[in-house]
Amino acid sequence: MNLSDLVFIVTALITVTAAVGVVGFKNIVHSALSLVLSFLGVAALYFQLQAGFLGLVQILVYAGAVSVLIIFAIMLVMDKDPDESNRSHAKQKYWGGLIALLVTLGLGAAIGSTIWPQSSGSLPEDSVGALATLLLGDYVVAFEVAALLLLVAVVGAIILAKGAGEHD
Amino acid sequence: MQISMLAPEIEIALLGLLLLVLGLLLPHKGRGIMGTVTFLGLVIALLLSAAGFGQEEALFNGVYQADSYGSFFKLLFILAGLLVVLSGSAYIQRLGRRANEFYSFLVFALLGMVVMAAAGELITLYIGLELMTISFYILTAYLLNNELSVEAGLKYLILGAISSAVLLFGISLVYAVSGTTVISEIAGHMQFQPAMVAGIILMIAGFAFKLSLVPFHMWAPDIYQGAPIPVTAFLAVGSKAAAFAAFVRVFMLALPLPQFEWGLVLAVLAACTIILGNLVALVQTDIKRLLAYSSIAQAGYILVGMVAGNEYGLKGVLFYAMLYVFSNLGAFAVATAVEVETGSTSIEAFKALGKRSPMLAAIMTVCLLSLAGIPPLAGFVGKFYLFSGAIGAGYLWLAFVGLLMSMVSVYYYLMVAKAMYIGTNDDMTPIKPDTSTRVALWICLAATVLIGVYPAPLSALAQTAIQLF
Amino acid sequence: MLSDYSTIGIFLMLTLAFPLAAMGMAWAVRPKPKCKPDDEKLLPYECGVDTIGRTWSRFKVNYFLYALVFLAFDVETIFLFPWAVKFSQLGLFAFVEMLLFIGILLIGLWYAWKEGALEWH
Repeated sequence: MNLSDLVFIVTALITVTAAVGVVGFKNIVHSALSLVLSFLGVAALYFQLQAGFLGLVQILVYAGAVSVLIIFAIMLVMDKDPDESNRSHAKQKYWGGLIALLVTLGLGAAIGSTIWPQSSGSLPEDSVGALATLLLGDYVVAFEVAALLLLVAVVGAIILAKGAGEHD
Repeated sequence: MQISMLAPEIEIALLGLLLLVLGLLLPHKGRGIMGTVTFLGLVIALLLSAAGFGQEEALFNGVYQADSYGSFFKLLFILAGLLVVLSGSAYIQRLGRRANEFYSFLVFALLGMVVMAAAGELITLYIGLELMTISFYILTAYLLNNELSVEAGLKYLILGAISSAVLLFGISLVYAVSGTTVISEIAGHMQFQPAMVAGIILMIAGFAFKLSLVPFHMWAPDIYQGAPIPVTAFLAVGSKAAAFAAFVRVFMLALPLPQFEWGLVLAVLAACTIILGNLVALVQTDIKRLLAYSSIAQAGYILVGMVAGNEYGLKGVLFYAMLYVFSNLGAFAVATAVEVETGSTSIEAFKALGKRSPMLAAIMTVCLLSLAGIPPLAGFVGKFYLFSGAIGAGYLWLAFVGLLMSMVSVYYYLMVAKAMYIGTNDDMTPIKPDTSTRVALWICLAATVLIGVYPAPLSALAQTAIQLF
Repeated sequence: MLSDYSTIGIFLMLTLAFPLAAMGMAWAVRPKPKCKPDDEKLLPYECGVDTIGRTWSRFKVNYFLYALVFLAFDVETIFLFPWAVKFSQLGLFAFVEMLLFIGILLIGLWYAWKEGALEWH
């Protein structure tokens, strides 16, 4: 095991533990903070895979904006005792855990026993540039539809949030 | 030159934006024209798509396909959108100041479907799927004063997000093994690896959720019941057809049958779906829930054609998906008209409809019988294609299950008819739907009968569309 | 293989080690009391006035709406960045695409503005 593997194992452990924490914490604010840590862990994994731009996106959008949005959403609906805000359902907790475990084992076995095709050649020098060429070239439909997707999400969230506000 | 082939997509996107901007610019009183604008915009999109039918061109190195298969589904979605707008306008007007955004979301959901059907690449397909489902999340929760609607929106959001994640995970595994996301190229890079099998299973699960196949159907009845009824109609018809369009394209082109035995997996799913959907529909007392279970069963029938995977079966998928638009939307249009009038979606509200409004009752009966597959209506021809395809491919037992359960389905469809013609109702005031609803109803009726009596033109269209496979 | 990012990783570990070392040092040299500290002593040290009522209450919807609009434009930045890197090679078509992209999102901002999502009252 070399240093690179060690770094991977440590980051992966942090990411997964944080993700379990999201489900496990009783206080939903702690869950949200745990989610931020998990996002950062994923960003670190991207960096390790030499996908620097994706790592930055992960930090900027997920750890930055999405987590703020989640915390504001929690603040918006919160009027319970904070320590009871993320209670898990007693019985379904174990079923959920069991299913998660089975899925993990199944997928892990499938991924572990696969002989992965090795890509020849080296990483592109300018990965951001290559991304731009693809995004604005072949993937233009997906690109513009993504803009519409954001628009729909923003308008829809405003309608639902304001509508719920007016209702009170 | 490439851009002109995207004309329907661009027109639909512009229509959605225009509706949003008009809502911002016009004073409240001027917003009555929204329905008309949507209608005209969709008619133009319909003409553009029809003009594009017959072109076979791969755009952007195969990332987007302008082919007859996509055009067929584009026509289907736009027709469904038109019928929903026509039959739902009275309902949508009651939403008051948020009505214009409602139209806009409908149009964007439609655009998502179109992108799904025409995408030649998995990421584009996924973005289209997300545009469609996110629009539907919002539309489902649109009745904010109604607890059922909000609950349905929330359920749909959570379950939909999980299923999208499952689908995306499947896509990522397929990409990791094959090294490409372009659908037509995956088959060439196919390797039989455990991760590939896992990826395919996850993709089947993701699509099965969108199609509400048993055992991934649990979300459908609650969400169909809670959503505003035009949304339920569009969800049951459009979103299902879009998922089928993408499902068939991906599985027939990227993962051809001989290499992977997914046919049997889907056959079992189809059988479960047909049996459970029909049996649970027997005990429903709410028309939306009844139509929800009925549409679960209908998805099972369509899946039979895909399992067969031969010419008859695939033609049946397209044929049935199209007639399903008319028959199912006809039934939903009647349900919408009754709900606008009585405020209820219980089957009780349909009692004595035969006397209150003979036209509504007659159209409801015809549409339901078509869904049950009674000749000479459209549903019979569709089921004939689907089941003969299955028999041709050696799935005799599946065709048998389908036939048997079709007979069972006649019972619950006729229960509605019985309520309409034999039941008595305290309120005997006649129900008079507005003009646009009547137009939609007549279109549904005419199409259901015509396709049944003279199926050749639609059959030829479907035949052209499946040349791809 | 160590990459450029490993420098960042080493820095990260150092920044974690520093406060831990400082706290550990403080723990090592501080006098250890014999009896357990009472509740009063374990209270967090805060300056200012005591809070009145629960701090855990519902907030205005506006916070959420601001964050939402911010998120949309945050994502836009992400897309602008690779485009800007390759701007000179990409040409007019990409420029138009980007204008469309920004235009679509501006409609979202317009909507938020008009609906009063950016107002504070």
